[in-house]
Amino acid sequence: MGVSYIPVARVGELNSGAMKEVDLGGRQVLLAFVEGNYFAFSRQCPHEEADLKEAGQLLVGGQIRCNNHSYCFDLKSGECSLPKGGAPLTVLPVEERGEEVCIRLEW
Amino acid sequence: MAYDLVIRGGRVVDGSGLPSYVADVGVKDGKVVEVGKLKDGAAKSIDASGLAVSPGFIDHHTHLDAQMLWDPYGTCEPQHGVTSVVMGNCGLSLAPVKQGIEDAIVKSFVRVEAIPRIALEQGVKWNWHSYGEYLDNLEGKVGINVGGLVGHIAVRHHAMGEEAVERTATGTEVQKMKGLVLDAMEGGALGMSTNRNDRHMREDGKPVSSRLADDDEFFALCDVLGERNAGVIETILGRNKVEHFEWYHQLAKRTQRPILWQSLQHRWSEPNLWREQLEAVEPIFKAGYQAYGLTHTVPLVRHFTLKDCQIFDEFPTWKNLMFLPVEVRKQAFADADTRTKLQYEIDNLRLTNYHKRWDIPKVEKCFKPENQKFVGKTIAEMAAMRNQKPIDAFLDLALDENLETIFWNANNGGDWNAMGEILRSPYVLIGTSDAGAHVLFGADFGYGTILLGLWVRERQVMSLEQAIHKLTFHPASIFGLQGRGLLRPGYAADITIFDPKTVHAEEPVWANDFPANTKRMVQKSVGVHYTIVNGRVIHEQGRMTGDLPGQVIRGPLYRQHKAAA
Repeated sequence: MGVSYIPVARVGELNSGAMKEVDLGGRQVLLAFVEGNYFAFSRQCPHEEADLKEAGQLLVGGQIRCNNHSYCFDLKSGECSLPKGGAPLTVLPVEERGEEVCIRLEW
Repeated sequence: MAYDLVIRGGRVVDGSGLPSYVADVGVKDGKVVEVGKLKDGAAKSIDASGLAVSPGFIDHHTHLDAQMLWDPYGTCEPQHGVTSVVMGNCGLSLAPVKQGIEDAIVKSFVRVEAIPRIALEQGVKWNWHSYGEYLDNLEGKVGINVGGLVGHIAVRHHAMGEEAVERTATGTEVQKMKGLVLDAMEGGALGMSTNRNDRHMREDGKPVSSRLADDDEFFALCDVLGERNAGVIETILGRNKVEHFEWYHQLAKRTQRPILWQSLQHRWSEPNLWREQLEAVEPIFKAGYQAYGLTHTVPLVRHFTLKDCQIFDEFPTWKNLMFLPVEVRKQAFADADTRTKLQYEIDNLRLTNYHKRWDIPKVEKCFKPENQKFVGKTIAEMAAMRNQKPIDAFLDLALDENLETIFWNANNGGDWNAMGEILRSPYVLIGTSDAGAHVLFGADFGYGTILLGLWVRERQVMSLEQAIHKLTFHPASIFGLQGRGLLRPGYAADITIFDPKTVHAEEPVWANDFPANTKRMVQKSVGVHYTIVNGRVIHEQGRMTGDLPGQVIRGPLYRQHKAAA
């Protein structure tokens, strides 16, 4: 068991509202910077697999809307907020460690 | 020539469910005229020896309302033996319409059925108002037979404009809607559909209009069908609940029309729900009413490796491991304490979609010769062979092959016994292909060929005769498609010729055949040799002939209305 911090960006690299594509262990992830907070989440919408790099729209309050079907997800918990009860978005914890933005993976 | 077409020497599976037999089938003027040993000549003859000859399949749950306007075959329906389709399901139809509400309908189709907006904007010309005029647009221009249900969403927008997505209707508006439903039925609709699924929104995030209807409104619209003894009522209420059956019973009793409800499937995450649904619907039939549950034949299968799979994302430790660099992940998978944690999560986390069982996922492909003996075994079976706990066997095998081993899993439809009971149930209507919808995410045109290939030939959950009945005369009877669904003299010569030994559906692939070269998924078949519509071949050995013999199938009120006029 352990914990791993995987650097995915430099602090200040992303403008507010920007998203960056990241490959993590062969899986595609998006790193977003919204209202001063970083969020990491799967690039694939859990509803009908749309690419959130293309279809995703960041909203105020740490949410993302998939414009394919207007499904909305909380970027911190992954919970599907619209419609309620939809499949959750896979999210990962993000931490700033010095000058680096890291994804924290614990097992 | 006595016949236009004779199909010689095939095994006739006539759609009734009765045992099949070898015979010739004679066709004249678009109808079957004789079945037996035929000696007279024909303009065209097909040798069907070794093949099955059945009525054409009827795909009753499609969203081809738009696609039929630019694609006369509803591609890939004929490739899978389908000769007739029903559009207008889930509350969505392209009529009735009036100026100013077109975009409200488009917004609903785009989101609920995931049809690209650009395809709808370029492919739908809106040169109709009533439902009958919409059907008129298809007359003489289609390769397969088409019928449709009038959708509650369009009806509501027609009567209420944009307020249809804001509020309940007034009594006056309900009366307007009743008039629109009657007009649609007299124009040829085969019934009416509604949508109460709380996950179904328009493109702008507003609920589809039918979700704002209360029971008083919806039941009043259904009375139009009940009072005239015509048409089916198709519904989607959202998440399946046993409580819904009281509503279906009430609706069926009030209208005495066939009710169709969505849906009934086997899911490992709710492994008993399908049985509870069948038990809940039985009293409705026993009371003398009809309420058929729609089911699908296509298991929701995932092929995965431990290199990049998502199926364990619900479990926090599993999820985190799957995002680690592969070498670190392999070390973690080898660690005994980590394995204990992984098993603990599978055993103890609640409300997951994953079935949490080791006797369902299987080893699909191994790369080392010494591991070939595990191919086709479930993880539980493999663990027994290796004298290990399942999680150890699973991870050790994957680690031995550098995480390349391919596994198979099905969260839905993976229990052969449950699927057999569902598919055989007299209360179940097979087929939710959703053809014409969700075009970027899949293609299930092959629900019939999968029934014949997977469930009849491989799993043997029902006979070929039962399966053909379920694909033909069963839906024809429920939807009131007069003169279709049986291979008998006097019936329309809608015929599918296929090889029971090979018939199946291929995996969907990409195409760019929608308006504006929009891409979508299509699906080819295996073993479907001929598809014949009203006596004329439209699909022959994998190629389309270009002929357009399809007819618009209109319901009984259309015929009565015409006769009265």
